[in-house]
Amino acid sequence: MQSWVNLEQLFKWIYKTLLKRDNRHEGVTFAELFQTFQMILQLNNKILELIADMGSKLGGDYVFDRQYVYSSSRQMGTLVYSLIYNFKTLTPKKYPDLDQVFRDINHEIEEELAGRMVIPRTEYVVPYDIATGDIDDVVGGKNAHLAEIRNRLGLTVPEGFAITTRAFQFFFDHNDFRFRLAETLEAWEDNTISSEQASRTITDMISSGTPAPEFSRAIDKALKQLQRKTDRRRLFLAIRSSAMGEDSEHTFAGQYLSYLNEPQQNLMQCYKGVLASAYSPFAFEYRRQKGITEHEVAMAVACQTMIDAKVSGVLYSLDPMDPAREVIVLSSAWGIGAPIVEGKTAADRFMISREYPHRIQSLDIVRKDRRFVAKDGGGCEFQRVDEEMQTRMSLSENQISELCETALAIERYFKAPQDIEWAYDQQDRLYILQARPLKLGDQMARATCNLATVTSQYPVIFSGKGIIVQTGIATGKVFIVEKDDDLNRFPNGAILVAKETSPRYAKVARKASGIITEVGSATGHMATIAREFRIPTVVNTEVATRLLKAGREITLDAQENVVYDGRVKELCYFGFMEERFEESYEYRLLRRVLKRITPLTLVDPHAKNFTPQACRSFHDITRFIHEKAVEELANINYHRRLRDEKPSRRLKLDIPLDLTIIDIKDGLVENHHSKSLTRDQVLSIPMGAFLNGLCSPGIWSREPMSVDFQSFMSSLTRTFSSNHVNPQYTGQNLAVISKEYANINLRLGYHFNMIDAYISEQINDNYAYFRFLGGVTDSTRRSRRARFIYDILAQCDFSVDLRDDLVVGRIKKLDLTKMKKKVYILGQLVGFTRQLDVMMTNDDQIGKFAEEFSGLIATDELMNGLGR
Amino acid sequence: MIDEAKTTILILDDEPIVLKRLGPALEKAGYTVEMFSRSADAFKRVEEATFDIVITDLKMEGLDGMQFLTHVKERWPGTEVIVITGFATMDTAKESFQKGVFNFLAKPFKLGEILETVKKAEKKIRQDSAA
Repeated sequence: MQSWVNLEQLFKWIYKTLLKRDNRHEGVTFAELFQTFQMILQLNNKILELIADMGSKLGGDYVFDRQYVYSSSRQMGTLVYSLIYNFKTLTPKKYPDLDQVFRDINHEIEEELAGRMVIPRTEYVVPYDIATGDIDDVVGGKNAHLAEIRNRLGLTVPEGFAITTRAFQFFFDHNDFRFRLAETLEAWEDNTISSEQASRTITDMISSGTPAPEFSRAIDKALKQLQRKTDRRRLFLAIRSSAMGEDSEHTFAGQYLSYLNEPQQNLMQCYKGVLASAYSPFAFEYRRQKGITEHEVAMAVACQTMIDAKVSGVLYSLDPMDPAREVIVLSSAWGIGAPIVEGKTAADRFMISREYPHRIQSLDIVRKDRRFVAKDGGGCEFQRVDEEMQTRMSLSENQISELCETALAIERYFKAPQDIEWAYDQQDRLYILQARPLKLGDQMARATCNLATVTSQYPVIFSGKGIIVQTGIATGKVFIVEKDDDLNRFPNGAILVAKETSPRYAKVARKASGIITEVGSATGHMATIAREFRIPTVVNTEVATRLLKAGREITLDAQENVVYDGRVKELCYFGFMEERFEESYEYRLLRRVLKRITPLTLVDPHAKNFTPQACRSFHDITRFIHEKAVEELANINYHRRLRDEKPSRRLKLDIPLDLTIIDIKDGLVENHHSKSLTRDQVLSIPMGAFLNGLCSPGIWSREPMSVDFQSFMSSLTRTFSSNHVNPQYTGQNLAVISKEYANINLRLGYHFNMIDAYISEQINDNYAYFRFLGGVTDSTRRSRRARFIYDILAQCDFSVDLRDDLVVGRIKKLDLTKMKKKVYILGQLVGFTRQLDVMMTNDDQIGKFAEEFSGLIATDELMNGLGR
Repeated sequence: MIDEAKTTILILDDEPIVLKRLGPALEKAGYTVEMFSRSADAFKRVEEATFDIVITDLKMEGLDGMQFLTHVKERWPGTEVIVITGFATMDTAKESFQKGVFNFLAKPFKLGEILETVKKAEKKIRQDSAA
């Protein structure tokens, strides 16, 4: 922290001194300004690479520690600060707000790193239909799980909304409880007062609190929406805790208060009751044992419509007492399920095979003489059950199958055995009321001992082939997908095996326990889906459909990248046992920090809000500066008086490309004063080679593609991609050159190209850097095009990095002729790929276009010789 | 029930997350693993027993990984040491080579990378003992 503050002061000092110089603007040469511009580009690249780098750490494949989160976050802060500093020397006093925006974002990051959680400034209330799993810091664990189950898995959960952790904080702030809370907690931590005393003080305090008017309004609005959705005038609600971390790494099972069948006017009172239960003596002790700090306490609340349950109960997707038996344990009874959970009523009990078609292995039907039901005016009571119903089985066989299939789908998604509360309503519709990971403990440890010895007993079908897209372990029967129709017959829990990857597999994402393909890349659309649904996936194995026979039971270990014949039980248990990386503090911290770094909201440079004030993340700031810096440099001589006037000139080409050139030194024919230029007046070695490539025969001649409807739609809906480029925007195409140097910024068709090259007789100084990003079409086509560019660059001996559709190619230290040839190829590639993504409708085309392109290069070489 | 044939590994790192992720991954790969987050405990343990491989961080709060690995190499010259460390301490990591460290990995690393390094160290141990 300390060193950071000093660094900031240092920057301020440097900046002040430089500003003075900047005021004497006439004294700045273009070369000096250009140096600043180059610095901006370099920083821009470094920041984008670091963003991608930090993001990749969330994938599960890396081991990183807290120190990494600290140091990479601070490195990011320093880079962005330097970027702003350099940008300001380019545009003095033009964007004063950037500093404040930077400070605000950086402050939030520093708060997170210092262990003070920054609750996002979200709404007080979030309805389930717009909640997602990754806002569990806002809506709490229980709500987040339910929202995932509803929105991702498409299962039915009660309609409702989450009252957020921000509302919790606001409740304390509004009532000025902060100081007293801190005081009480301190006294408890010092053992001056007992947990009971601390609990009583805080509980009394909370019940004396009143909601702020804006909070009450938000609640009223949410209730009205809920009335509309459920078509009911009077709502009866279940109000439950949804604390951060509850239901995931720490269960707190049954320790917080829940209210059932409460009339809506009681909501605020119940809300306070749930908040207070976060400070029960038990909760204090539990947190102390688990090492959860008091500042991590943030209680969100689940507010759901009451389900009129005919029958309800609890399901364990694996028997915690005897996991090796591989059975599902199911209890059910008439009415509302709360007494079953609390063990206060008799329930039917079923043991069912985990394997499809889920045969019942044993059942125990008990006399259920009473049931828990909702009372008309609110609250619940026990009622007597009719004689003939008492001994009847409370679930039909169909319902049992439905429950088992649903539970295993939830288990596959959350990658752990589940403890699920469920209910059937009077219309026999299944509702998931709650799902949380089942704690298995020692039982599992015994089942997994000597794993390496055990796995060596299973025959390996193949190993080490292809690319792991999503880690994890899957077992199931092979189902080979050849055509779209096959997807309609896809059985629950099978492993999808196919020749190619396809985004259409999204259709069975909820059913598949694993995916293995013969071709495909880790950056394709399907890969994104596999990660979204956390399906263990390996692509590009080359042999999958040949070696894996339909219907055969296999185990895919997408950690070690091995496919075993048969069902390796022990591996499945191991997968269950492993602490889920997503639940570690480091993962959560990195994710929270990245929320201030990665999201891109500033996408359209023509939009009104393309301003420093609208920047919400470091990525936004970076994007803003990059756009404005290019613009600034291109227009520089119009509104700046520079010591060495460097007029920019338009280049006239045979191809329809609007390109402005600024010559720093000896890049153009001397004494040329006309405003426009022709290609033969360019003396710059790299610029010449690039233009020759760009204008070489056959490269540009292809017709501009009409953008098809799907591409057009996705161009409109892609708002959060890092690489969004609006097709309407025609930015500046700009090249800054000298005899040996060229820096070319091009926006062609729908994407950015940046070439930075130095070519001279000094082999050691020579380099070429190529960066490509953006595109208007959907992510699959963009990644195909990126893949194509990757392949071509790799063929031409560039070292290439591919991250989504950002491609970076580098090559250096070749002699002059060879360097010219490389930059010439870059020119060809830029022209050729101009609108390629629109045409790339399937994976085969990567190869087809690569062939076409290689053909063009070869013909061109034959006709014209190397690079000229 | 220690399996004599299994390669034994001691891990020392003060960041629990590193132990939590490395331990199970190495166990799954068939190694016998002991983990320590305090160097005093690790020092004590290497007095009692020898390990085939030691994996240690260099820079930890309140303790010195360099001291630990120096001690291990003196006490058990046959033990191969793998250093895992953040980029800030890479220079010291290079120094540690002089002390006979087998390899070092910069944090963050991939699980596959550490497994590969451990396999190589294992191979070297086997070659050394055969020689």
